Amino acid sequence: MEDAGGKELFEDFKNSFSYGSRTDLSFKFLKGLDVDEAGEFFSALLDEVGGLLDDPSTERLVDLVYRWQVRAYRPRPGVKSSYVYDDRPFQVLGKPLSETTLGLVTSSGHFMSDDPPPTDAEGLNQQQTTLMIDEFLRRAPHLSEIPTEASTDDLVVRHPGYDIRSVSADPEVALPRSLLVEAEKDGRIGRLSSTVYSFVGVCSQGRLRNELDSWIDGWKSAGIEALFLVPV
Amino acid sequence: MEGIPTVVVLVRSFRHVAEEMGYPRAVITRHPMGRPLGPPGDTTTQRRVVATALDLLAQATTGGTIIEMDDPYRPITQPKQLAD
Repeated sequence: MEDAGGKELFEDFKNSFSYGSRTDLSFKFLKGLDVDEAGEFFSALLDEVGGLLDDPSTERLVDLVYRWQVRAYRPRPGVKSSYVYDDRPFQVLGKPLSETTLGLVTSSGHFMSDDPPPTDAEGLNQQQTTLMIDEFLRRAPHLSEIPTEASTDDLVVRHPGYDIRSVSADPEVALPRSLLVEAEKDGRIGRLSSTVYSFVGVCSQGRLRNELDSWIDGWKSAGIEALFLVPV
Repeated sequence: MEGIPTVVVLVRSFRHVAEEMGYPRAVITRHPMGRPLGPPGDTTTQRRVVATALDLLAQATTGGTIIEMDDPYRPITQPKQLAD
């Protein structure tokens, strides 16, 4: 939107980072801020960037982005959630963890390079995937199976909902296979399931609910007795 | 249907989701979105998060148990540039 003089309004500028002309998934939270808050963020951001001219430490900048992400996603006072949760399930671990088979599931969007991608289209890059956000939100999720021992080089990640740079550089950031294998070798857990699982969390939530029973049955059939879950 | 014991690791921005949904066991990390276990290449931090989560899985006696870790996010590597 433009003002009467044809110039982009600040509100539209800040919103453009969320699936708009300047999409940046690390900063899509700007859409959740009002104009005054967004102005405050940019002012603080530029202040920190200016500080970098003399102090190369990025800690304050990292902390700034972190604080504002937390602030932007915090529920607004008086705004009720769209969802109602009827129960609070709690399943006791039936035996010592050191004897338990653990499964790993993440919504990071990882998949094996020789498997069909989460979308029907082959070879989409991350930018193209991000542009398909509306398509993903309509779709049922696809549960990718990843061998626990698979090479990191054989993993791909595509997800329209978050900045995948970190998980691309190091899948352990959201898919801690190696660390759980280490926990198995240390006797901390009985064993890690031979297959770990990932799906794109941006999906039709209704269709996700429809899939869950079959996923759970599959995990139980695979001998999984407890789950390590990493939503992203 | 008998349930499966779970533990969840998620970033601070979504703590309210864990509370609202009544996650049985949750470890909250003070990390930016997309980096729940820690910075890329920071095995020390990632290992600490995994250990905390496994301890919670083993020891929690009631649902809705949430542990928030104190460590700030400190990247130690420059994430590689995506090929595309």
